[in-house]
Amino acid sequence: MANTVIGSSIVIDGEITAEESLTILGTVKGKISVAQNLAVEAGATVEADVEAQTVTVNGRLTGNVVARERLELKPEAKMVGDAKSPRIVIADGAGFKGNVDMDV
Amino acid sequence: MADKETVIGSDTRISGEVRGEEDLVVRGRIDGKIQLTQTLTVEKGATVQADLDVGHLVVLGAVVGTIVASESVKLMSTARVVGDLASPRLTMEAGAAYRGRVDMGDIAAARAAASSRAVQRPAVSEKPAIRPAPPRMATLAKAIVATKASAPVAPAAARSTVTPSASVPAPASPPAFPRVAGAMGAMTPAWAKKKIRRR
Repeated sequence: MANTVIGSSIVIDGEITAEESLTILGTVKGKISVAQNLAVEAGATVEADVEAQTVTVNGRLTGNVVARERLELKPEAKMVGDAKSPRIVIADGAGFKGNVDMDV
Repeated sequence: MADKETVIGSDTRISGEVRGEEDLVVRGRIDGKIQLTQTLTVEKGATVQADLDVGHLVVLGAVVGTIVASESVKLMSTARVVGDLASPRLTMEAGAAYRGRVDMGDIAAARAAASSRAVQRPAVSEKPAIRPAPPRMATLAKAIVATKASAPVAPAAARSTVTPSASVPAPASPPAFPRVAGAMGAMTPAWAKKKIRRR
């Protein structure tokens, strides 16, 4: 599998562009653009504007999110920023502050 | 959660700064700066255009930038590396291509020098001092033949490109860079060609 994983001790300051899936366990600041799924795992910190097909958050995410297909906030997610996606799932326990745009 | 290995996949590009305390495998591309306490592996097909400060470095792909490794550097047979290198241990396989200065002495001094240079110039434009590559032994004979063959042709082509008009963009047909049309152009691998500058 040719996917990208950012480990828990890794800190990236800059721009990530991926034509595949991206899993973040560490810290990313800047800008993220993913063609497939972006997963922000528990313990991860993302301070970035995000664009992806599907976004799954179980960590801390600060920034505006555009998910072309689906955005899911899992129980441990803490998200601050605007969310734009046709489908949004927020699990019990997740924290969210920001605007929601579902293109209605 | 159990620590997963960090992998930058083949279709992923990062521009900026990467820091970490674990192993990092690059199959895609990183531009900028990498600071790692453990092993950085640049896989075949991967490109890293960055100043590196790592523990161990294993290169099977292409690296352009200043390299400081506190433990070791391994350049495998498919490696293509341009940039000054400081490491207490260095292994180079047959077939590896490298251009730059090697310092196997005082790593602390080399690191200080590298970081002070990074401060003086912006990180992105930080490029190693580039000298013409020494010819690889295997390609030497071929290169000499190529030089003899191309030498009389190159100046003529150069003259024809220079004469007509300065304002019109260079025509597509001739060797656009007469400077490198001689021996250097013939024996420099394509990936390194654009880096070559005369001082």
